[in-house]
Amino acid sequence: MDINETLHGNYVTLSPVGDLDANSSVHFDQKISELFASGQYNIHVDGSSVPYISSAGLGVFVSHLEDLTAYGGKFVISGLSDTVTDVFRILGLDQLSNLVVVKSDSEVPSQFDS
Amino acid sequence: MKAYLRVRCNKEFLSTIRDFVRSKLEEFEVYGATSSQIVLAVDEACANCMIHQHQCDNYSTIEIAIYREHGVLYTEIKDTGKAFPIHEYRPQQLNDIVRKKGKGGLGINLIHRIMDEIKVEERRDHFIYRLGKHLDTATQA
Repeated sequence: MDINETLHGNYVTLSPVGDLDANSSVHFDQKISELFASGQYNIHVDGSSVPYISSAGLGVFVSHLEDLTAYGGKFVISGLSDTVTDVFRILGLDQLSNLVVVKSDSEVPSQFDS
Repeated sequence: MKAYLRVRCNKEFLSTIRDFVRSKLEEFEVYGATSSQIVLAVDEACANCMIHQHQCDNYSTIEIAIYREHGVLYTEIKDTGKAFPIHEYRPQQLNDIVRKKGKGGLGINLIHRIMDEIKVEERRDHFIYRLGKHLDTATQA
């Protein structure tokens, strides 16, 4: 899986390309761990090039949430298709305070300002 | 009419399974969110078999069957590995999974939330996981 990385003011944008399933999510998990190791806990994920997500992809977010919270960080996820957003909704992940799902990239910087 | 697919227990074949289920659901006139959710549930069940029952052994296989019967869409996964009592599993609370920093439990949780019927049938030399979705009550948006 290709994952593009861009540094903004106080957050990093990751742009994974392709399905986030049990096969590919390992690479995404490694990338998040690398950011944590470098002290970066504000992470924006541009999900516009992720056509499919399974529990393994969701698990990457869920397994890092406790550490993220401890360091005052946040996941902001944008650009998801309705189908992928539905998977977050089924499990109630869209209701977590430090995992924010927004429609468009224009909503992202304000989510990290708060 | 039942459609079948047999794949090796290699996670690279999960996308092949999803493509197969998607195309057959179209033939059975199941579309939209209902189709996407069934594809997800089957993917979760197959990934579970590959990873936990077969440790991704490339020489083991699972067989997926899909058919529509009396307003219910059924998928069956035939597995020669050790049976997992998926139908008896009680989904964990999301907050508990977050607190444990774990990834486990989310897939089974999804299967239980999406599918209406979850059964495990024991045969002489294999198990069949049968997942059913009631199409008359599902919203095919």
